[in-house]
Amino acid sequence: MSMILPLLTFLPLVGVLICLAIPREEMALHRGVGLGTSLLTFAASSLCLRDFDPATMNHVVKWAWAPSFGIHFHLGVDGISIWLLLMTTFLMPVVLLSTLSAITDRVREFVITLLVLETGMIGAFLAIDLFVFYVFWEVMLIPMYILIGIWGGERRLYASIKFVIYTMVGSLLMLLAILYIYIQAHTATGEWSFAYETLRKLILTPREQLFCFAAFALAFCIKVPLFPLHTWLPDAHVEAPTAGSVLLASVLLKFGTYGLIRFAIPMFPHALADLGPYLQWLAVIGVVYGSLVAFAQPDVKKLIAYSSVAHMGFVVLGLLTLNPRGMNGAMYQMLAHGISTGGLFLCIGMIYERRHTRRLDEFGGIWKRMPVYGAILLIFTMASVGLPGLSGFVGEFLVILGTFSASKDAVAIPSLFVHAKLLAGLCALGVVLGAVYMLWLFQRMMLGPLTNPANKQLSDITLREGLVLAPMVLMAFWLGMYPATFLKDIDAGVGQTLTAFREKLAAGPATDQPRMLGAEAKPAAENPTAPAPSAE
Amino acid sequence: MTFDVNDLLLSLPILILAVAGLVLMLLDAFSRTKLVGAAYQKSMPPETSEAYGVPLPGSRDFLMPVTVLSLVAVLVSLYWLIGQLPAESGAFLYKKMLVVDRFGLFVSGVCVVGALLGVMTVPAYLRSHQFEFGEYYPLVLFSLAGMVMLIMAGDLVTVFLGVETMSLGAYVLAGSWRRNLRSAEAAMKYFLVGAFVSAVLVYGIALIYGMTGTTVLSELRSRAPGMAAKPYFYFGWLLLLVSFLFKVAAVPFHMWAPDAYDGAPSPVTGFLMSGVKVAGFAGLLRLFAVTLGDPANALQSYTGWVHALYAIAALTMTVGNLGALRQDSIKRMLAYSSISHAGYLLLGVVAIPVVGDAARGPVLYYLAAYTLTVVGSMAVVSWQSGNERTGERLLLSDWVGMGQRQPAAALAMTVFLLSLGGFPPTAGFFGKFYVFRMALEKPELLPLVLIGIVNSVISVAYYLRVITSMYFRSPVPGAEPPPVPARSGALVGSVLMAALLVLGVGMFPDLLATLTRAATW
Repeated sequence: MSMILPLLTFLPLVGVLICLAIPREEMALHRGVGLGTSLLTFAASSLCLRDFDPATMNHVVKWAWAPSFGIHFHLGVDGISIWLLLMTTFLMPVVLLSTLSAITDRVREFVITLLVLETGMIGAFLAIDLFVFYVFWEVMLIPMYILIGIWGGERRLYASIKFVIYTMVGSLLMLLAILYIYIQAHTATGEWSFAYETLRKLILTPREQLFCFAAFALAFCIKVPLFPLHTWLPDAHVEAPTAGSVLLASVLLKFGTYGLIRFAIPMFPHALADLGPYLQWLAVIGVVYGSLVAFAQPDVKKLIAYSSVAHMGFVVLGLLTLNPRGMNGAMYQMLAHGISTGGLFLCIGMIYERRHTRRLDEFGGIWKRMPVYGAILLIFTMASVGLPGLSGFVGEFLVILGTFSASKDAVAIPSLFVHAKLLAGLCALGVVLGAVYMLWLFQRMMLGPLTNPANKQLSDITLREGLVLAPMVLMAFWLGMYPATFLKDIDAGVGQTLTAFREKLAAGPATDQPRMLGAEAKPAAENPTAPAPSAE
Repeated sequence: MTFDVNDLLLSLPILILAVAGLVLMLLDAFSRTKLVGAAYQKSMPPETSEAYGVPLPGSRDFLMPVTVLSLVAVLVSLYWLIGQLPAESGAFLYKKMLVVDRFGLFVSGVCVVGALLGVMTVPAYLRSHQFEFGEYYPLVLFSLAGMVMLIMAGDLVTVFLGVETMSLGAYVLAGSWRRNLRSAEAAMKYFLVGAFVSAVLVYGIALIYGMTGTTVLSELRSRAPGMAAKPYFYFGWLLLLVSFLFKVAAVPFHMWAPDAYDGAPSPVTGFLMSGVKVAGFAGLLRLFAVTLGDPANALQSYTGWVHALYAIAALTMTVGNLGALRQDSIKRMLAYSSISHAGYLLLGVVAIPVVGDAARGPVLYYLAAYTLTVVGSMAVVSWQSGNERTGERLLLSDWVGMGQRQPAAALAMTVFLLSLGGFPPTAGFFGKFYVFRMALEKPELLPLVLIGIVNSVISVAYYLRVITSMYFRSPVPGAEPPPVPARSGALVGSVLMAALLVLGVGMFPDLLATLTRAATW
């Protein structure tokens, strides 16, 4: 049994302890500890790739935590979580490096908050016990609240409370659903367990599935955020410090879609027939609406926040295609969005440090003063737009392709694919709109005459800022040029999820009492072999 | 009348409390009473200055360690008693006046731990507010003796005696800050309501006795099914229910609570919110869940109290929460929040007849988690409550910037607030989790759980307001200087212990959960 996952999860907390032992005046030392810990965590997380089989859980640990409740400290990583995990640990040092000059107040607390947040994020991606998942899910909440509340902008109090309340509504209902299936699984098996492997096999009646799926989906869709639950996001993004915005956009939002593919979709397949179409439409509305609203924003950060709503709409839509293409695309888009939007927020943070404004009409023609910055911003803009060769293209393309072709290899839920072509078309429209507002953003900031005298003093990025952005640029190209690195794991993980999904769908909903998959008399082998998942 | 020496041994906790209380009273009476210095008297307004014999602040501090030692002795005796009990059952003492069982021992332990942590904050609080009240310590012990009596009651007469002993101490404690009008008001309100409730309680007992001819709880339990058609019997239990709902401050019998909790000196508030409430719940459990609650006892027609409590639990959670939402004073907010927590506990009480005796575990867990959290938060409040020149300054605005000024206090308060709000990995989270989990086993309780969930979301808003004040707001220039915190190792130790316990119980829930499951009645 490999110890790598618990080590990985709690490594940031070691950094927290070290920070607590250092006097608060030693700001440089705190930053060093934070950076060192996060780099070490990144190194440790890359060790997960050794002996890695994306189709199953790797490096699994299962320690008794509260055995009388069936709670086990149960961690594992598979093809679905591995790259999200690596993206998290990859972003952390980048973010810490980016805040050296931006955060000068309460540095110790800042580093501690970020490291606790990292533990929460890593733990939530790794947890395969639903109780542990819930605990880490909530552990993420408070550091983010503190990040917005202490180091945020003018309306930080409002934004931070709004963020917490929105998330709490969803997560408490999710807790209720977790408890419900936990109790039903006990009825069916006679054992108390929160293990995902056990609860996944529980088959409920359609009605029960509907309510449980709704509770899970609500929690996840608030996090995504899916239209119309997205209203907390612009506030949180605008008020959060750069580090908060980056982590929020790149990682925290991914928990919504990660939760959908990991938990909600495979556990409650029959509920998708009822609720799936609504989610699809909301996702597409989110794509179009997010793009249109982004277009109207005077504040750069808010613009990118709304672009997140649009991009995450793609992800949800891709997940709901229930075919390998679309789901691979969705997973890929999660990574791509993490890199491109994270990069954009980092860039905006840098210009904000120089000018202390984010109003679009304050800028214009800056490329002349900041050529390197302009080039990098262009790369992220293009990555976000979905230019082939950059990160955004692969995911968006696969999602649209998956949606468009969905009706052909339909998977027993016809209601999902009635309007597949229309959805795909609207999505393509969303891509066009995305190009419009992103290019418009770039044009208004960077091109044209340099009219505002305040911009004449701007200096190009420093070496440190270059170090922050360089890995992000590298990843944007890597994701765009050589998707196989990521897709081979994602594809296997998605294939595994789909197999589990089909198996459970084929077993049909429970009629009366809850029962476990595979527990009935007839062998489950009647299920036709799942079509071999293919990337493109 | 036969008298068994063994009974004395088994009632050791009560005896220790009573004797220690007497000793402390003597110690207080015979220790030197310094006359108040002229300078000190001048500093007080004339109408409140007292002519003679006010003990100097700080002159009774040595009573605190003595109290702590006696409470530790009580804990040891409670632990020792577990070994003396027959497996899986309890023992009757004094002709069934008292019953010693694991349930009683557990809840008594919770009360004693709460009181212990609370008492450690007292000297610092008295010193910073410049008043001395040596009787504080014996009164806590007497009141605790009453609580233990109530918790271990085997007879309605013992219930009454326990309630009265507990409450008399609490009334005086609430008014112990004699120069403070709010404290006097709190004591007056608390006393008047309490006296009224005592009458209701006695009336109920009388009715039950009149209908059955007995006051022994185990007798009543076996006779209850036969009394199904007797209205006065019902009415007697109804009066009992009402009087206990007053004691635990459940809506609509909560009106006294915010004023009493808010006006009483902060360490006393902690004592009222933890000890008195916990003992009240133990009484509620003994009288209703145990005596009337056995589902196997053909009491289906008899569960009127369950329906009443069902509605009251929902009301209590909601009204307490909505009240807390609008408070600007931290102490008053905690007072309302304590009301709403009584609602969650009532949900657990309701679950017992519905789910069965297994639902006792969550209630006891919640009681313990709630006690630790409340005592800890009131210890921080005592710590940061200002001094004699300012009086108690506990508005949200007074705590602005505390995260910078007093990082330890702010951090501890954050832990307690997160626990009250139900965030993992704290005791409060697991308490809620455990109660909800148990209640979800029966679909009848689903509406209550949903109400509880909605309330949890609401409650987050006001708990986070305090965190917002402590960390996020920056002090307004020109505002009053922040209150000076009390300095005391014992107080800090109490806060630290409570915080560690809240976190420890939350992170390793199985330890306490195993204890609560073993606490059979």
